[in-house]
Amino acid sequence: MLSINMTAAREHLVIALNGEVDASNSVELDEVIQEALSGSVQKILVDGRNLEYISSAGLGVFMSYLEDFREKNVAFVIFGLNEKVMNVFHILGLDQLIHIKNTQEEAEESLYDA
Amino acid sequence: MAKLPNIQRGKIYIMLAILTWFALLFVDLVRLFGEINQMEGGISREITWILEIIFFIVLYLYFGDSISKNENSNFLNLIWRAASTGLMATITSFLIIYFYYLLDGSRLSEDPLLRNFFYHVNFALTSLFLISSALLWKHLILYQKSKAVVQQWQAYEVILLISMFFVLINQESYDYGFMFGLIFLIIYGIILSVNLKWIPYLTFREKWKSILFLAIIIASTAYLLVQLVSYNQKNIDFVNLSENLFLLGLFAFVLIYAVFSFLVTLFNLPTSSVFEQKLTEAISFQKLSQSIQPGENEEQVLDILMDSSMSAAYVDAAWLELHAQVEEDQPGKILHQKFISNGERQDLMAILKKTEPFASYLNEQEGGKLEYIYGKIPHETFQSVLIIPIRANKKILGDLFLLKEVKDGFNKEMINIISTFVGQTSISIENYRLLNEAIKNERYREELEIAQRVQRSLLPSELHHNECFEIDGFSAAADEVGGDYYETYRFDRDHFALIIGDVSGKGTSAAFNMSQMKGVFHSLVQLNLGPKDFLTKANSALSRCLEKNNFITTTYYTVNTREKEIRFARAGHCPTLFYSEERGASRFLDIKGMGLGIVRNLSFEQYIEEGKMNYLPGDVMVMYTDGIVEAKNENGQEFGYDNLRNILDRNYHLSAREIRTKIIESVFAFVGKEILPDDDYSLLAIKFKA
Repeated sequence: MLSINMTAAREHLVIALNGEVDASNSVELDEVIQEALSGSVQKILVDGRNLEYISSAGLGVFMSYLEDFREKNVAFVIFGLNEKVMNVFHILGLDQLIHIKNTQEEAEESLYDA
Repeated sequence: MAKLPNIQRGKIYIMLAILTWFALLFVDLVRLFGEINQMEGGISREITWILEIIFFIVLYLYFGDSISKNENSNFLNLIWRAASTGLMATITSFLIIYFYYLLDGSRLSEDPLLRNFFYHVNFALTSLFLISSALLWKHLILYQKSKAVVQQWQAYEVILLISMFFVLINQESYDYGFMFGLIFLIIYGIILSVNLKWIPYLTFREKWKSILFLAIIIASTAYLLVQLVSYNQKNIDFVNLSENLFLLGLFAFVLIYAVFSFLVTLFNLPTSSVFEQKLTEAISFQKLSQSIQPGENEEQVLDILMDSSMSAAYVDAAWLELHAQVEEDQPGKILHQKFISNGERQDLMAILKKTEPFASYLNEQEGGKLEYIYGKIPHETFQSVLIIPIRANKKILGDLFLLKEVKDGFNKEMINIISTFVGQTSISIENYRLLNEAIKNERYREELEIAQRVQRSLLPSELHHNECFEIDGFSAAADEVGGDYYETYRFDRDHFALIIGDVSGKGTSAAFNMSQMKGVFHSLVQLNLGPKDFLTKANSALSRCLEKNNFITTTYYTVNTREKEIRFARAGHCPTLFYSEERGASRFLDIKGMGLGIVRNLSFEQYIEEGKMNYLPGDVMVMYTDGIVEAKNENGQEFGYDNLRNILDRNYHLSAREIRTKIIESVFAFVGKEILPDDDYSLLAIKFKA
């Protein structure tokens, strides 16, 4: 089960993920990021506080947009991942490529300071 | 009856019949010769009668035999056989008369012996005709027989047999006894003659033919009867062969049945088209139910439906319109169109769309449970219309339009039968589709099995090792094919390479990427690279083949058993679990790493670390894929890293195989039997010994 909420705040978009991302619903996540990228927003925040699980297919979605973020100069930050999900990002090495912060404040700070 | 072959038995009967007839002729001629010359002590008449009876019985047996051999020939052939025998007997009789006409006035024409000879010829042919006809009637009477009819016929045969011998008991001709017997036989013949079930099965043409043949039979029978009787009156010198109850009874029976058949066939002529119609419908129905075989198409069954429906209702014009099938991407079309032009059809359609009750159905195109619509329309040619939707798999496939020029042209029976046809068509089409689907699924299943076999062969059946360590592996896929991969390579006596990998996603696409990984491994391993270089080159190669959002996690190890040294690098794969004998505990070898295919440029190298360590005998290394640690039980809890580490801490002293088995068993026990695995599991266990 996955539900995704997208809200705009100041100059950034917040994508909140609730539930689990696996092969069956990773397409939804893909569509949301695609939509976010198609606008003029330069700052994207992913709220992972309620993300319980992410499979390799879900990680594949984030991975596939890394290049686009760099090209379009989009700042992309994830925050609030629980220990287990964080570990998954870490093992794969994605934490070396994506800014991952503990709290929303830290995340927003990194967005606007960069 | 003796078990002689049929043909021989037939020949024997013929021989016997001819011999008996000659004996009869000889006896009678001798007696007549004696009487003419007034010689005493002539041959008694009983001998003649007995020979006559034998002659009848042999003929009866012969024809009974020969007809049962032709059991399956049609009625018309049987009737023609009787008619032709009758014609032959009649013509022979005419020839004899003509012969006497030629001899007129000569001495020979007055010769009683010659006359007697011809009498015997006539008698023989008449008997032949009567007996063969009677047996043919038997065949017709017993068509669609019931037990009662069979019993009636058997009784009749017994009575006929008795009647043959009547002449021996009662020598006075035409007395009360004789007359009583004859009347009894006639009445019995009438009772039997009501069995005429064969007649309705004749077609119209066949009925006409059978009427003709029956007329011939009636005429022949009547003529032969008159002729035999006239012989009796002409010359008292003859030994009277025809005053036999059997022969006269047969005359009566053959004549009565022929007359009955003639009349019934005649009166059946007008209704025969109805019967034929019903028969055609039954055949159409059967055709519809058998029509679709694998390899044939649905249009053929619709074609049969059209023809059957049109003939069932005497329709003047018809067409069949298939609706557009959105899912199969088929446009709507007119499949069959009979006795109507395109222009007329379009005119009619326009009228129908304006006329109730058709308009509401045709404009909305959703029939619900509607079975048919029937009504009249204001059109100059066609006055009544019947529309029947054809359904398959609960969807309306198309509509059948039937038109007639008369008002109220469709009655309840016609609509019923057409509805039945349409129903049967739907069943046939549904069955056909199911069958095709089943065949297709079967093919997919086979191909998946092949993929499974191919993939199994990608995992090594034997793992390279030497006496310094044991190694054991296990792999199970969630789907038929999986994305987990492990392999070993031996450089020389002391140097080995090991790899374990997991392709993102699962199923067939993962299996394809896994086979690419195998190719990359075998190409690069031969270069004898360090683990970090190996992974950098593997990343560079796979970056060019993997799809955008696919990646592969892997860990690559080189083992040197002489130096007892392990070097490894981790490309985003689950950290290896290592049990150190010295420390008495196990830990995860967590070093920096990055999955293959995530960073698709040269900067990949900077995200990778290379580890180096020495092992001691008794140390254990467990490599696994995320399916193991992420295996979930029914409460949604994951098996986890801690569980895995604890198992190794308890079982480090076992052999590699036993450790592997323990871990896999624990995972399965944790997950529970009810839950199907939703990821691939793989595990490699290595136990160092020296």
